[in-house]
Amino acid sequence: MQTDTPKQSDPLAWVAGNDAPEKPVLNIGFMPLTDSASLIVAATQGFAQQYGLSINLKRQNSWAGLRDRLLSGELDAAQGLYGLAYGIHLGLGCPATPMAVLMGLNQNGQSINLSRAMLEAGVTSGEALARKAHHDGAKLRLAQTFPTGTHAMWLYYWLAAHGVHPLRDVETLVVPPSQMVEHLRAGRIDGFCAGEPWGACAIAERMGFTLATSQSIWPDHPEKVLCTTAAFAEQYPNTARALIMALLDASRFIDDNAANRAGTAQLISASEYVDAPLGALLPRFQGEYDDGNGRVWQDSHPLRFHAGGAVNQPYLSDGIWFMTQFRRWGLLRHDPDYLAVARQVQQTGLYREAASALGIATTPDDMRSARLMDGIEWDGSNPHDYAHGFKLHALSDDKTLCESC
Amino acid sequence: MRILLINDTARKVGRLSEALRDAGFEVFDESGLSIDLPVRVQSCKPDVILIDSDSPGRDVLEQLCLVSRDQPKPIVMFTDEQDPVIMRQAIQAGVSAYIVEGINSTRLKAILDVAQARFETDQQLRAELQAREQQLNERKRIEKAKGLLMTMKQCSEPEAYTLMRRQAMARQQKLIQVAEQIIAMHEMLND
Repeated sequence: MQTDTPKQSDPLAWVAGNDAPEKPVLNIGFMPLTDSASLIVAATQGFAQQYGLSINLKRQNSWAGLRDRLLSGELDAAQGLYGLAYGIHLGLGCPATPMAVLMGLNQNGQSINLSRAMLEAGVTSGEALARKAHHDGAKLRLAQTFPTGTHAMWLYYWLAAHGVHPLRDVETLVVPPSQMVEHLRAGRIDGFCAGEPWGACAIAERMGFTLATSQSIWPDHPEKVLCTTAAFAEQYPNTARALIMALLDASRFIDDNAANRAGTAQLISASEYVDAPLGALLPRFQGEYDDGNGRVWQDSHPLRFHAGGAVNQPYLSDGIWFMTQFRRWGLLRHDPDYLAVARQVQQTGLYREAASALGIATTPDDMRSARLMDGIEWDGSNPHDYAHGFKLHALSDDKTLCESC
Repeated sequence: MRILLINDTARKVGRLSEALRDAGFEVFDESGLSIDLPVRVQSCKPDVILIDSDSPGRDVLEQLCLVSRDQPKPIVMFTDEQDPVIMRQAIQAGVSAYIVEGINSTRLKAILDVAQARFETDQQLRAELQAREQQLNERKRIEKAKGLLMTMKQCSEPEAYTLMRRQAMARQQKLIQVAEQIIAMHEMLND
């Protein structure tokens, strides 16, 4: 009599099956930021191999350079600012190219920092900054990292919430995140909004202090995403799914316990990755903040990579929010079909397949709600009215993003 | 486009060489049986290797194998040899296009283009295969190290993984590097 032999679980079955990635070796771009942790861990700690992928990490010097290499195909996928992916998709500052957001990589953990000179002049609060912006002659020079990026949007939102018009009352400019401290040192900027560890480094080098964290603007805000061109996701769906799974696995590992988190910080501080002293990188990576002006606290919404999948689900409402801010600040001159565009970009289907294969929960409707620092609620349900409902805006401005592009 | 033109017989090389130059290619002529092909390819760095041969001998194919392995280039072979066995050997040695009889100068450009496209596809497939093999090999080494660690530390599979990853991250290394260190240490202690 024939007996059924139980199927041996073969760790390589997945790789050999029909779901095997079409493209086994991927070049993935990242920026020297603590936000890159899950990419670095996935590439180096055996998480990608489990899904039949080898990840070659390619460190980039600027977001604009990363965008160019992603569009030329030199990079297969990249860490992206939420707003960068939508900026490319909508053709703001470059020819429009359909984009795909595969998943969220992290929430929270960015900061607005001002120079030592501002500290000494008593500009240590939103109110003081508003007074300076409205009454002093020379405009403050504040840097962000990419015209449509998250840091521009956090900076604009925070300034506007304090009554400072980001396009009229101050001067903003783009500087790559790892060069912020040098720009402060040289006196070329009065402050900046960027990812860590560059805020902490400015404090460690006594070049500045932290005025506000991004999570104080929007607790658990969306930040970096894993993005590809839409063409890549269409051509290589199995690769895209495998990549999401590898990163979900790595993200879960980082957030699992304090020892994994500390080990991750040690790994990513290496010269080939973030290239920053562990002493500056580790505290904020663990949610321990020191603003460089006497305030020390354990943050209740620190940088996080997984949170049971809440960080990683590519919510439509997260994508739409950035479009409402593009509209608010005149980067978009007309209202797009917010929901339709978000449905094109956010790869909710691929993400669900990857998450369910790993037993990671997803919410069914792809919308989430939040109350931002000015008390205004955002739930993704009425983007047009939301975009048009702010006191400070540049809705009627005929301003193009980047005339030279 | 730089072309290295090899003629392994005393046959008229002039004809082909002229046709290529007329078509705008940069041609490096070589004739004779005693040429050291790998050395010549290294010094002249051609985009395409073109071989004109009555019948490619074992020596020629042997040298082509070496070139294909160490400095792969598109290789086009013009020959009078119709023996399918030799044809197969030539393709296996890395020849991208095997053209029997007759060099029609008006078709040269098209033949070279096809050879180059063929070559690029082959290279890509080869690289993917190599990457998959390396991935599998790394996975096996990591599995092996994990097994050794489970025995040595009397721990579970997830615990062994965690130990290895912690070690790798603390030393800013890749998991595969730590796996190799565990295997090497185990071999040393058990010799």
